[in-house]
Amino acid sequence: MRQKGEGYGFIVPAALVLLFVTIYPLVYVFWLSLHRKHLIFQISRFSGLENYLFLLQDERFLRALWNTIYFTVVSVGLELTLGLLFALVLQGAFATRGVVRALVLLPWALPTVVSARMWEWMYNTDFGIINYLLGVDVNWLGSPFWALNAAIVMDVWKTTPFVALILMAGLQVIPRELYQSAMVDGAGSLYIFLRITLPMLKPVILVALLFRTIDAFRVFDAIYVLTGGGPANTTETLSIYAYKVLFQTLQFGYGSAIAMVVFLCVGFISVFYVRLLSR
Amino acid sequence: MPHKTLRRFFAVASMLVLAIALFACKAQKEGTQEAITIVFKHGKLAGGPEAMRLILSRFEAENPGIKVKDEVLPASTDEQHQFYVINLEARSQEFDVLSMDVIWVEEFARAGWLRPLDEVFPPEERRDFFHGPLSAVTYRDNVYAIPWYIDAGLLYYRKDLLERYSLPVPRTWEELVSTARAIMKEERGLYGFIWQGKQYEGLVCNVMEYMWSRGGGLIGEDGRFNALKKENVEALRFMYDLIHTYRVSPPLVTTAVEETTRHIFGSGRAIFMRNWPYAWNIFEREGSPVKGKVGVTVLPAFSGYRSASTLGGWQLGVNRYSKHPEAAEKLVRYLTSYRVQKEMSIKMGYRPPRRSLYRDEELRKVQPFIVRLYDVFEHARPRPESPFYMMITQVLQPEFSAAITGLKSPEEALRSIQRQVEHILTMEER
Repeated sequence: MRQKGEGYGFIVPAALVLLFVTIYPLVYVFWLSLHRKHLIFQISRFSGLENYLFLLQDERFLRALWNTIYFTVVSVGLELTLGLLFALVLQGAFATRGVVRALVLLPWALPTVVSARMWEWMYNTDFGIINYLLGVDVNWLGSPFWALNAAIVMDVWKTTPFVALILMAGLQVIPRELYQSAMVDGAGSLYIFLRITLPMLKPVILVALLFRTIDAFRVFDAIYVLTGGGPANTTETLSIYAYKVLFQTLQFGYGSAIAMVVFLCVGFISVFYVRLLSR
Repeated sequence: MPHKTLRRFFAVASMLVLAIALFACKAQKEGTQEAITIVFKHGKLAGGPEAMRLILSRFEAENPGIKVKDEVLPASTDEQHQFYVINLEARSQEFDVLSMDVIWVEEFARAGWLRPLDEVFPPEERRDFFHGPLSAVTYRDNVYAIPWYIDAGLLYYRKDLLERYSLPVPRTWEELVSTARAIMKEERGLYGFIWQGKQYEGLVCNVMEYMWSRGGGLIGEDGRFNALKKENVEALRFMYDLIHTYRVSPPLVTTAVEETTRHIFGSGRAIFMRNWPYAWNIFEREGSPVKGKVGVTVLPAFSGYRSASTLGGWQLGVNRYSKHPEAAEKLVRYLTSYRVQKEMSIKMGYRPPRRSLYRDEELRKVQPFIVRLYDVFEHARPRPESPFYMMITQVLQPEFSAAITGLKSPEEALRSIQRQVEHILTMEER
């Protein structure tokens, strides 16, 4: 006979590991964010919510917050649309399907830093292939208007395959019978897509959105390599700002407060999606 | 069964005792005769790892009992800074000797991470070093590092093009603009003047050179931070004009770093370039499209003012938490000695910070290019010297970037800089 409560014993090791690698750092960062802590000055004293109050009047922070939201909404929106399109196309049966699927996945398999470097050269005003192909002379990464959008294009290129992959998996588990009976009933393809494919795909779409939104909200390496946050902070996201404050200016208290904001936003996003999912 | 448990306990306990005893023996031995190993952290060096290994092997031969392990950090300066900050804050003893960018020493010294080197680097020896790097390693009357090699901004120009149109090498910024425009009119597809304008540390280096060569700068005569000067406004406006009004600098400079400009100039598509000395050897290599066509000179100044280059370069210091400080000091002394600096200069092309080396017969013969830079180094100026520099530059970079791209007027950018830096500088008191 199994004893009651025996199961808890088995999860203790896993719980301890989780406690140590996720909960402890989180609590520590929160604790740091309540301090005025400067390594150089050997200052470390409790300051309550001072850091959080300063965030509200820090123009640079508000700018970074806006950049992050803009980046997340636009890039995830595009990735979902294109990803769905790819998934539907690749779903169809054609001879080279395997090869095409592998090719589509290539951008996602490349390390972000490598692809960001690659795109940096492609965006180059002088010898970049993008200006050459479009026959224009645009300073993509140097123009305050284009720079963030250029970063979005790169992110879309890189992570659409990921969305497509997840959606493809979702498409495969939709029972064939549903399509067959819909066709028997004389439904058009648009009608089938709206009434069968999309609703059946909804949970998978939400999972893809959850992953992508969280990732996009924390975007760091892609933009850091591409522009370093410039020109004039027009591409600086919250993660980049937090990194600069933490590791370049060594203000551990204030930097932790920014990091906490990122964490809270990501937390809200997760709760929002998970709620939608469980409905 | 309690019996079994007890036996197991004894087994483990006796193993532990044995291990501790062995460890103690080993520790004792280390103290008396066994070699100690010190770890030397530095960025990637020219000439590959072999060249540095050779220099370190000689140190090991001359100092029996000390072994040196050199460990290369990632190429990006920001990552190196991050590595040091994280490890030194955690009081790491994993490395003993560290190489530091010219702007970090005061910060690390202020944080208490560096061992003062006053005794191993006596005042009479300091006199031989260029003023710039020497003041960069000094913090509140103490010396915390020894200059290893030096860098400064230079003007590269196309000798052949200037000769073809019989134009002189520009001495002032105004001349540079008119010379570039004259040649650009005749030669299609050439950029006039390229420099580094991406939002990063290199942009600050560039901007400072225009401010200084206009009689401005960020530190007032009273030693206080003062960005809001009309000279600074004019310097920033001139940089904006280079791109948008005179059109001698292409808009791409606002995203360019050293390597971007080096590639363009190196493929023969620009007349003038501001860059560090490293580019020279690459231009003079076999197969380079601009081999023999490149000239190097001091940066121009605004008419009536003195030219000034931004100081760069690396310094060696000792980790405050090092377990072998004496051995580490020995290594720093050795690596910054006359003979090693000479060797690094001859074999690897590094610019020595010791003035006397520029009179060295052998060096003059093998590296005439380096020797010619003496005046540039003598007058190279450090970026605002402050333990808060890393915080200040985080303010300068986006504001300068805004000024040269035209997002803000020079006055607006400088006013914003003044406000933010004052906030940083009062932090210590609050």
